[in-house]
Amino acid sequence: MSDIIQNYWQAWLWNDGYHVSGVAMTLWLLIASVACGFCLSIPLAVARVSSRRWISGPVWFYTYVFRGTPLYIQLLIFYSGVYSLHVVRSVDLLEHFFREGLNCTILAFALNTCAYTTEIFAGAIRAIPYGEIEAARALGMSPWVKYTRIIIPAMLRRALPYYSNEVILMLHATTVAFTATVPDILKVARDVNAATYASFEAFGIAAVLYACIAFALVGLFRLCENRWLAFLRPMGH
Amino acid sequence: MFLSGFGPLILAGTWVTLKLSLLSLLLSMLIGLAGASSKLAKTSLLRGWATAYTTLIRSVPDLVLMLLLFYSLQLGLNQCTEALGMEQIDIDPFLAGVVTLAFIYGAYFTETFRGAFLSVPAGQIEAAIAYGMTPWQSFRRVLFPQMMRFALPGIANNWQVLIKATALVSIIGLADIVKATQDAGKATMQMFLFAVVGALMYLLITTVSNLLLIWLENHYSAGVRKAVL
Amino acid sequence: MYKLTVNGLHKKYGQHEVLKGVSLKAKAGDVISIIGSSGSGKSTFLRCINFLEQPCAGEISLNGELLQTVLDKKGSQRARDPKQLQKMRTELSMVFQHFNLWSHMTVLENIMEAPMHVLGLSRAEALQRARKYLAKVGLTEQQENKYPAHLSGGQQQRVAIARALAMEPEVMLFDEPTSALDPELVGEVLRVMQALAEEGRTMVVVTHEMGFARNVSNHVIFLHQGRIEEEGHPAQVLSQPKSERLQQFLSGSLK
Repeated sequence: MSDIIQNYWQAWLWNDGYHVSGVAMTLWLLIASVACGFCLSIPLAVARVSSRRWISGPVWFYTYVFRGTPLYIQLLIFYSGVYSLHVVRSVDLLEHFFREGLNCTILAFALNTCAYTTEIFAGAIRAIPYGEIEAARALGMSPWVKYTRIIIPAMLRRALPYYSNEVILMLHATTVAFTATVPDILKVARDVNAATYASFEAFGIAAVLYACIAFALVGLFRLCENRWLAFLRPMGH
Repeated sequence: MFLSGFGPLILAGTWVTLKLSLLSLLLSMLIGLAGASSKLAKTSLLRGWATAYTTLIRSVPDLVLMLLLFYSLQLGLNQCTEALGMEQIDIDPFLAGVVTLAFIYGAYFTETFRGAFLSVPAGQIEAAIAYGMTPWQSFRRVLFPQMMRFALPGIANNWQVLIKATALVSIIGLADIVKATQDAGKATMQMFLFAVVGALMYLLITTVSNLLLIWLENHYSAGVRKAVL
Repeated sequence: MYKLTVNGLHKKYGQHEVLKGVSLKAKAGDVISIIGSSGSGKSTFLRCINFLEQPCAGEISLNGELLQTVLDKKGSQRARDPKQLQKMRTELSMVFQHFNLWSHMTVLENIMEAPMHVLGLSRAEALQRARKYLAKVGLTEQQENKYPAHLSGGQQQRVAIARALAMEPEVMLFDEPTSALDPELVGEVLRVMQALAEEGRTMVVVTHEMGFARNVSNHVIFLHQGRIEEEGHPAQVLSQPKSERLQQFLSGSLK
């Protein structure tokens, strides 16, 4: 146990001698995909609740497909599938992008978490009492002001508990990244396992590292909820 | 030729995925019932164990747990067989898959059932006891059926997540949809096509179960008035 | 010169005609009460005035400026220029039956929101306005950082009135402002409204409170089945009703 930590602690935490690895890589995967997914999902959620079918329909289809299939398969499609296409190999830019396992992984992760986040946000918009939106119109707000000042801020706050859950699940999901040769925590664990045959220790350390990140995230989100969800709490003190 | 002759292989993989998901669902629901009962138990030891279990599962990724259990069990088994001078026994990936998935989703079902038990109004059980039912009778006749109605959306949700989680079991060597389509892709050099076929199989399974669950929900919400907006 | 004129408003839901040509004229300082039983169309009429519901026909003008409309495919009117409607709405603040305060904003934020982001006031100006009107509706600075859910219904409605006042509107529309309140909280809201009327604000109030209609307003409209059955000065309309329907309505509501 102690040799594993002594010999590999740098690889576990941030660098395996060649590139960023371990905790740092897992966090980067998580932050990059969650940030992309978040930015994309806000306009998509607004489109998802639209009463016009031709706007909400395509978004529904996108979330249905991405939520109805495993992330692992999505990663395989982007990593080994897309790169095997002739079209992709013949265009320089695409070739460069899809050759990198890390690019494919972040793309797949971002699209996946975006689909879930879109549905979470769309649900949160539907949960806003209709009268509050009507009040915005009655006070002469233009659609842009109505969305940016009232609907989206209310949506983000209401979605917070569900969104924090999605981020934790996304942390769990980053573990498939090693199949695209991305050196995240689990890849380091597998390398250590292959080198030492100490499976329990190798995967045990990985489990502890993931649990620490998860606890930190839960704590962080709890702080956010205390700050931004006070308005939903029943009256007291 | 249809799917370059890999159709039967992919169908066999789909069957494995289905068997795996259904068996793990069954087992994890049993674990979930036990876990929920422990969480609501009066002894603090039971509650402590159940809380530790659900916290562990919710903070450690399923794939890590799966690999941890699979490799550690295999190593332990090897040490045993070596000590006894026997030949190495390989753990069957299917069995390992069922056990780990059930262990993981048992925790999610624990939370689902706990919430559902708490949603049944206390008056319902009081009424059962007031009419002279034994604790087991009141559980079996009153609490359990009502709890299931509250649990149904949660069960549906866990099932959808569980199906998708089975894809990970191919990483420990199970010949499921993912493995079958990947093999077909490698053999034909059509990785993209077969990966999409794999995705479509999952989409088919999730769509069919969606429809089934909607039907079930309508069926089991007898006596419940829908909120009309 | 009238502040607000509404001419021949019609509204249909499918086949069901809710408003069959209702008109209204309000001079500066008028307080007009609209009464009628539920289903008479009084709330729909008020909501049509600022286009929260789209009428099928009719004209609305504010300070002599006519709202330009076009008919859409479903036969409802739409504003030809959304900008004109938005501007008109800022001059026609509405107070709702269920307050409709933005639940994720504090009292102060609720009041400052529209002045800052619709009228373009600076934060300091908006804050000054917010405090001024909060004081006017009788709320203290201790309450200004609370969320709506942590206030009583009467306090919430007074905040909603302050929010409407902070737009410094030409005309205020009240949609049954006391109907969602517990009986003991109705008085505090009515007192605020009476004070506003005495200041000379122009108000159109849909209400069930006959005392308010009689004592505060200077014109009463009785709606029945989408038509004006009777209107006039409250002393006359409420004390010597001519139409049988109004007599029935009053005997029912005065019980």
